Amino acid sequence: MKKTPLYKLDLDLYYEKLDNGLEVYIVPKHNINDIYVTYSTKYGSIHNEFIPLGEKKMVKVPDGIAHFLEHKVFEQADGLDVFDFFSQRGSDLNANTSNFKTTYLFSGPDFYEENLNFLMDFVQEPYFNDKNIKKEQGIIEQEINMSNDNPYRKLYEGLYYNSFYKHPIKIPIIGTLKSINSINKEHLYQCYHTFYHPSNMFIVITGNIDPEKTIDIINKNQNKRKVEPSAGIKIKKYDEPDKVVKKSEIIEMDVTVPKAGILFKINFDKLKYLSLKKISNYIIYLCNLKLGTVSLLNEELRDEEIVKDNLNIDVSFVDKYAVLSVIADTDNPKELFKRIRKTLKSIMITEEEWSRFKKIIISNNIRMSDNIFSLNNRIMNDIIKYNEVTINELKDVEEYTIEEMNYVIQNISFENDTTLIINPSK
Amino acid sequence: MKYKKYETQAYNIHLIKTDKFKTISVKINLKKIFNKEDITFRNMLINILLDSTKDYPNRRLLEIKTEELYNLGYSGGNYNSGEYSVMSIDGSFLHEKYTEPGMNEASLQFLFDCLLRPNVIDKEFESNSFKKAYNVLKEDITSFEDNYYRYSNARMLEEMGKGDKSSYRSVGYLEDLDKITPQNLYQYYEETLRKNLIDIFIIGDIDEAQIKKIILDNFTIKTAKKATKEHFLNHTKFRRRLKTVKEEKHINQSYLSMGFKLEKLTNFEREYVGSIYSYILGGGADSKLFKNVREKNSLCYSISSSLSGISSGMIITAGISSNSFNKTVKLIKEEVKKMEKGEFDELDIEKAKITYLASLKQLVDSPFAIINLYVAHQYMGYDLLDDRTKNILMVNRDMILKLAKKVHPDTIFLLEGGSEDEKDTSL
Repeated sequence: MKKTPLYKLDLDLYYEKLDNGLEVYIVPKHNINDIYVTYSTKYGSIHNEFIPLGEKKMVKVPDGIAHFLEHKVFEQADGLDVFDFFSQRGSDLNANTSNFKTTYLFSGPDFYEENLNFLMDFVQEPYFNDKNIKKEQGIIEQEINMSNDNPYRKLYEGLYYNSFYKHPIKIPIIGTLKSINSINKEHLYQCYHTFYHPSNMFIVITGNIDPEKTIDIINKNQNKRKVEPSAGIKIKKYDEPDKVVKKSEIIEMDVTVPKAGILFKINFDKLKYLSLKKISNYIIYLCNLKLGTVSLLNEELRDEEIVKDNLNIDVSFVDKYAVLSVIADTDNPKELFKRIRKTLKSIMITEEEWSRFKKIIISNNIRMSDNIFSLNNRIMNDIIKYNEVTINELKDVEEYTIEEMNYVIQNISFENDTTLIINPSK
Repeated sequence: MKYKKYETQAYNIHLIKTDKFKTISVKINLKKIFNKEDITFRNMLINILLDSTKDYPNRRLLEIKTEELYNLGYSGGNYNSGEYSVMSIDGSFLHEKYTEPGMNEASLQFLFDCLLRPNVIDKEFESNSFKKAYNVLKEDITSFEDNYYRYSNARMLEEMGKGDKSSYRSVGYLEDLDKITPQNLYQYYEETLRKNLIDIFIIGDIDEAQIKKIILDNFTIKTAKKATKEHFLNHTKFRRRLKTVKEEKHINQSYLSMGFKLEKLTNFEREYVGSIYSYILGGGADSKLFKNVREKNSLCYSISSSLSGISSGMIITAGISSNSFNKTVKLIKEEVKKMEKGEFDELDIEKAKITYLASLKQLVDSPFAIINLYVAHQYMGYDLLDDRTKNILMVNRDMILKLAKKVHPDTIFLLEGGSEDEKDTSL
């Protein structure tokens, strides 16, 4: 097991890669009671065209299948209720599916060894049949209906749908009523065997635990199972153009206040010589600086009553694109879009603004180290996004410079955007 | 963990010393026995206090200051708790040993200033700042209906207890908002500081003497006040027949909210028996409601119950498809009845206790959860950690049965979505 101190955070990261390919990351934290365990596969909603394990040809599976599969993994051959197992031990079990990964998780201060073993067991021994698939289709149908009632979710989904041509990020994680109903047992097993292979999975554990003992438990558990070696998974790559699919759209919903969103598709390919971590930190800071609560624009928009509350900002990263979405309730979406575009057209950063950047990074990292949930999430996201855990951020922050920030500003553009307005239906 | 309470004439200071956290967390609470008009006033007040201060006269400058204080986090809000409305300002910042000397005092002062140095000119709130706080609140009130779960619960409570405190919407009312001016809001503010009961809670690796001095130097309120009324709400009238109200909306899913009144609760029931009862009925993924309504009959995507000892009420919420309304209600009633008949076993009770105890252990990992423990102790006389751990184990089957008999179904509200042809018209 490899032990690395997390720089300036009074914590150590333990790492081991097992013989079957499963990777384990552990950060013990002994001054608290709780334990948080996450078990993830690098498989999310966007991985729906691939070559299945043991086959040669690329296949396309129905949209929303990763999330569907997540629900179905809880189904066991002996009919055992997985949730009961954890709740009888005072622990919370859950799972979630994002665009990039699927995670099964539990937290609880007691029955650690039993819980950890059972988490691995149930995820590795699911049972699909036509009857339980039919039932799940009913439940997910309601989930889709509920999310269709949520205007903010509709805004995000619509913006992504109108921005991307080919990349499956354009499809909601949950899929559509049609795609969900076309899922069958064979699809599920095909995806499961390909993506739930140990070499495509990782465990992250944070909290009050002993790392040596933990590795022992995991090793014993994994040795029980024989797995076919995997030569790595071939997933379809998409050659996505910089332009958006549709410049604007207006829809109607049963809402009281109109809602508007604008999404910028930002190609950062020109920044190649910087690490993705740096690019990501710089772009997120810039967006908050120019559009967030500390920005002049946000204050002006509220002064002029173009928006009533603060702008809602989200930045995510998809292949070579940073995707910035800005959402607000507004009666004057045209003016809002105009002002956001104008602000992003000429960005400058002052020394004073720069000095706050480092304080924020320091604060975010130290706070994160206080909370086993943030810590665990950060490690998972690092693995998915950067393929490594960024343990030295408090040291790295010394290498960030305003010149580099300006280099980023000069080499990204905010010219490709799409807008969406939700008006109250009559 | 070491707890100390200091009473000044005008407020209480609660200091909790622990080296578990790298942050110092602060909660300033102001509580008063409220009526309907207070709600909107207090929401306006908290909005404006956290939007600008004398030294940082708009939100932008305020936020820039928090970044300079190493990303100090702050938030605030009001909640109704039994007879009282509680206004809270929360803050959390890195202990200065992780940043630079002087940051503890600067950060505390910043938080106190939000409350004590408002953006006021000539005894009225500055007009631009007033306008913005007004706009935010107006939009919150107008868009209240857009969150269907929240709206359904609020409508149910309105139908259940017309005119009761528990029926008031915590977001406030447009008709009350229109009566608020920069002048009368300032008067309201002064009265709040003069008359509300104020408690300051601070947790972290603190030097008690230093923190106490910072508070006494900076938190300069002098008016003496005393607590008066009991905190809890109680019911005396119960409905013989369940009241059902439906409202239509152009949405896909339907939202069901069912309200229950609880009769003459003892303090032990409020604190302990209620949690166990509600956990068994609808607390989690292995609850009776989840198992029998969601899993066995796949009638809904979500269903849960929550019981409030403070307001002597229970709510069951579910997201359903419109054509399953009657069947869902029938099953919910059955499950509640089964609790009364004692159709649960020792294992159910055991599981509920294990969960409760685990959540106590988890609770002490979070600074604000620890603060809330002391808030409940101060306001309601609820037990602290050690007593809670002991007392929950005393809950037994008879106590749960006794409580189950005090649960009276009262009102159902359905926010009805879905297409016309699938609606359930048999009622």
